[in-house]
Amino acid sequence: MTTRFLTLIALTATLAACSSVPDRNSDLDRARGRFNMAQRDPQVQTLAADELKQASTTLDEAQAAFDKRQPKTTVDHLSYMTAQRVVIAQETASSRAAQAITANAAAERDKLRLAQRTAEADSAREKLAISEQSNARKTNELAQADAAAKQDQARIDYSDARAQALELELQNLNAKKTERGFVVTVGDVLFDSGQDRLLPEGTSYMARLAEAFRRNTNLKATIEGHTDSVGTEAANYELSNRRAKTVMDALVNQGVLANQLSVRSMGESRPAATNDTAAGRQMNRRVEIVFTPNSDVILAK
Amino acid sequence: MKKIDVIHGRLSAPALVLALLFTLPAWAAAPLELSEKMAVAEASVKQANTTSTTENAATELQVATDKLISARKAWADRNYELAEQLAEQTQVDARVAQMHAESERSRKAANESQAAARALVEEINRPTTR
Repeated sequence: MTTRFLTLIALTATLAACSSVPDRNSDLDRARGRFNMAQRDPQVQTLAADELKQASTTLDEAQAAFDKRQPKTTVDHLSYMTAQRVVIAQETASSRAAQAITANAAAERDKLRLAQRTAEADSAREKLAISEQSNARKTNELAQADAAAKQDQARIDYSDARAQALELELQNLNAKKTERGFVVTVGDVLFDSGQDRLLPEGTSYMARLAEAFRRNTNLKATIEGHTDSVGTEAANYELSNRRAKTVMDALVNQGVLANQLSVRSMGESRPAATNDTAAGRQMNRRVEIVFTPNSDVILAK
Repeated sequence: MKKIDVIHGRLSAPALVLALLFTLPAWAAAPLELSEKMAVAEASVKQANTTSTTENAATELQVATDKLISARKAWADRNYELAEQLAEQTQVDARVAQMHAESERSRKAANESQAAARALVEEINRPTTR
């Protein structure tokens, strides 16, 4: 019994020793192959160096176990551990590589978005600048229009002032405001009786009239000759014509432009009063200077 | 102990010494180191058992789970050396499952972000219709 038991133990020990000393261990070879493959992978080398180191250590342990002829189960176990650690290293490396791609893509997206925003901001700034320019231009245009309006107003004011001045001047010349405009009457008393020659008193009055014309070159007037009903119509027409011409010549002689004046012979056709009395007839013998209504103001504008 | 008592009753002294030499080291090592390793193996499988691993590394997780069951069984059978090896293997198996799941997840995320980047580039390069 005892002998048999001892023999059994010895036999088991021997068998175990025999089985654990083959030339090679296939699991160990496979583990080494896998480890070598992982070690040659630059991605694993750089991204999972620690994990690769652990696999290497375990591989060394497996090899040592094999060299020390430890049981095959131990060598197999350590080989398995090595192979799994190689897998861990490889998975770690690929995971980190993918994470780097994700991070890069995110950074790239951020960069693109930033570029996009910058472009949008630039475009907005550009638009703002353009609109500011346009605003400035509009402001300028507005100012110009304003200035033009002020100029117009000034011109109107000036014209009004001139019109008022002229009106005052004409009033000083005893001009009367009628529906035909201002009318100045050069009375019979300023002429030699039945003649077309102006008396000296008439001449001084003409000088004042001429001055008004000279000062207002836009002022235009029609010089109308009128007579009473004494004498033939033809003779009266002739006389009124000559008297009107005399007035015009007197004015032109004193520097009034000829184009400011025109002459009309009215004869006895337009009496100012009755021809039945001497006073009435005297009033009818006259030269009327009819100023063209608003001529100055119209031309000034 | 019971078994040894039985043996003790029948064996001679040298045989007993020989038997003790074989059995004691394994016997003594069992409770402390092994229970620690078993605890680590249990914890690692528990930790690896996530929705991500069941989704992306189902096979690898199954290997770890099966290995843990084998380790428990070996422990229960007092096959302590085997139990220790299986516990160690369980731990690396669980780690393999975790890392495989993580690399799968990272790979998918990378693909998605690359697709998103491409889409964004296309979006930006598209002539604006404003």
